[in-house]
Amino acid sequence: MSLDVELVLLLWGTLVGLDLVSFPQAMLARPLVAGAGAGLILGDITTGLRLGLLFELFQYDILPVGASRYPEYGPATVAAVSAAHFASGTLGLGIGAVVGLFTGMLGGLSLVVLRRSITRAVAVAAPRLEAGDAGALIRFHTGGLLRDLARAACVTGIGLALAQLARAYIQPSLTPRGEQLLAVAASAAALAAGAAGTLRIVGRGPNLRWLALGLGGGVLAAWLT
Amino acid sequence: MKRGLGAALLRLFTVQGSWNYERLIGTGVGVATEPLLRELGAPDSPAYRAALARSTRFFNSHPYLAGVAVGATARAEIDGVPPVMIERLRAALTGPLGSVGDRLVWAGWLPLLSALALAGIARGAGVAAVIAFLAVYNAGHVALRWWGLRSGWALGPQVALALQASWLRVAAAVIIPATACALGFALPFVVQGAGIGFHGWSRIALAGTAAGGFALLVWRPDLLSGLRLGLILVAAALVTGWVWR
Repeated sequence: MSLDVELVLLLWGTLVGLDLVSFPQAMLARPLVAGAGAGLILGDITTGLRLGLLFELFQYDILPVGASRYPEYGPATVAAVSAAHFASGTLGLGIGAVVGLFTGMLGGLSLVVLRRSITRAVAVAAPRLEAGDAGALIRFHTGGLLRDLARAACVTGIGLALAQLARAYIQPSLTPRGEQLLAVAASAAALAAGAAGTLRIVGRGPNLRWLALGLGGGVLAAWLT
Repeated sequence: MKRGLGAALLRLFTVQGSWNYERLIGTGVGVATEPLLRELGAPDSPAYRAALARSTRFFNSHPYLAGVAVGATARAEIDGVPPVMIERLRAALTGPLGSVGDRLVWAGWLPLLSALALAGIARGAGVAAVIAFLAVYNAGHVALRWWGLRSGWALGPQVALALQASWLRVAAAVIIPATACALGFALPFVVQGAGIGFHGWSRIALAGTAAGGFALLVWRPDLLSGLRLGLILVAAALVTGWVWR
């Protein structure tokens, strides 16, 4: 993969990482969108959508309310698509999942570090904020945005480096059976997370009936088409 | 004032940019409120400074509905409402703006459209499904931010009336069942799509592992998350694959 393409992926992953919390929360950070974007950059939309779908299911496990801690699957999906690009079929899926899951975990940890660092900064800036200093407020807020930008770039960069390592060391060492096992593990975990997340969103109250109704319709439609 | 509202709306897109454990989105709300407070006087005037300091204190809400608080508190400051009342207004808005937004967006609008996009992709709609998801989602997203800011600015301390708006109540009542239905509808297509490329033993292993993983995630959500399950399963698969050659 050329350096130009890697740089464009880094830029896209950074944008996706910034979108998650700071700006503009337009859901570029959803794995479906992040994966499709990475696929378009690499000229491999099929892999982008396949990994996007896989990590979108993992994303269902997360309800981003309040100060909750959660993994970050946007830049992770970009790195996963980069890892999977050169491997076809189920091999790409497995290798991409390994890279994406580790990058997602790293992204989640980086968000906690970022929030702690901004909390330290707000304590320092408090006297000027309490004095109603508009300049200090804008500088503090911009500083937070820039920190998140740097965080997103670091996470994406590490993810892309992990993708290179996975291609160099994991991919050649896998037998066809190992490839299948890895893809089964990744897909099964994603389906389990997606289904459990769905149940959490819907709850166990009266809306379960609507879920069952939709499920019946979906089964019928899938069978007929 | 249109320019002030426009600037506040643009700044609202960064409302979580300086999220921290002490003031949560308070500083972001302060940044978004600042253009509206310029009506109080020059940046070094006591009224402007006191109002800005109040607007940067602890605050939390759903990010898309923070505009309700921005508009309402700015209007209250300009109308000369006593500071104690403004603090009370901010405190009173925190809970409802969080719960309404979480219900409407995070548990409604977003999973509804995501489920439809997933079903579309699984049926081969490709990038068109992703573009449609982004376009429809953000039409609702931007409209909600603008509505919140406009309502807050128009109603000031009476902004609770906006939260009782008929469309909001209807949307909250309709969106969760609709989302549940869409999620159920998408599931068979997603399962079908995820099964592509697996044959024979691997298909049976996929079904069994997914069912077992689902049961574990539902049984012990305190111990196991989707990420943990994924990491454990891929690590186990890697080791098994290397040993069982």
